[in-house]
Amino acid sequence: MSTQTLDRFPKDLAVSDLAAGSVTLTVDAAVYPLEAVYGAAYIFIDRCFVLLDRPKAGSVAVTLSPKKAAADAEALRQMAGEFANELLTQAWRQKIVEENRVILETVTTQALAGATARSAPTEPSLDDLASFDFTEEAFDDPLGIAMSWEEKYKKKTPTEAASEAPAVSGSTGAKP
Amino acid sequence: MIERRFHRDLYPTTAVDGAVKLFERFARFEQADEGDYRVVRITARRPEREQKIALELSNYALGLTRQGGLS
Repeated sequence: MSTQTLDRFPKDLAVSDLAAGSVTLTVDAAVYPLEAVYGAAYIFIDRCFVLLDRPKAGSVAVTLSPKKAAADAEALRQMAGEFANELLTQAWRQKIVEENRVILETVTTQALAGATARSAPTEPSLDDLASFDFTEEAFDDPLGIAMSWEEKYKKKTPTEAASEAPAVSGSTGAKP
Repeated sequence: MIERRFHRDLYPTTAVDGAVKLFERFARFEQADEGDYRVVRITARRPEREQKIALELSNYALGLTRQGGLS
């Protein structure tokens, strides 16, 4: 295997193998968490063959081989750079998630608690309904609001009209 | 015959097994545990085919590893 360092890359970080058409980046696990490495590697599997290895404790080696042929030194350097950028993106994204984890959990808990309280049984249960006394009057209706139109304005019989007449004439008769 | 070494810290055994299961109709696979590694030996009719299967196997194992982490 004939490896060579990549132009503008630190010597210990990335080496390319032109014969194999691959580039290997060695990532410090203290700087980039494993989840970030997985995330970046997963994004690259549509255009590269990716193999992870652990050459020594505390580091992860990522070997990228382009799926398309013609991987010259410049193409490999470009790919290594893109992977390093993606690695940084993933690490930063994970850090933001961790920092906001408490807020996310609090908001989610409050939302779920609100939804639960809203659906709490405030309505009477079937047992309450069974023991409810329907015989008593619901409410007084002195103005006849709850009466139907027919009941309220039906044509009165002569007897009914006669019984109400004195009261009406009495009230009008008091006028000067 | 070509050999692929999957570090157990990085690839769960279930992911490697799942990938091998998917590709076993394309080649003959032998698996062994050697130290921290799950070693997969691939034998196919032609060396190019072995190489291709080994590369695809790695990607698939990585995909299964990632999916397992997300679920």
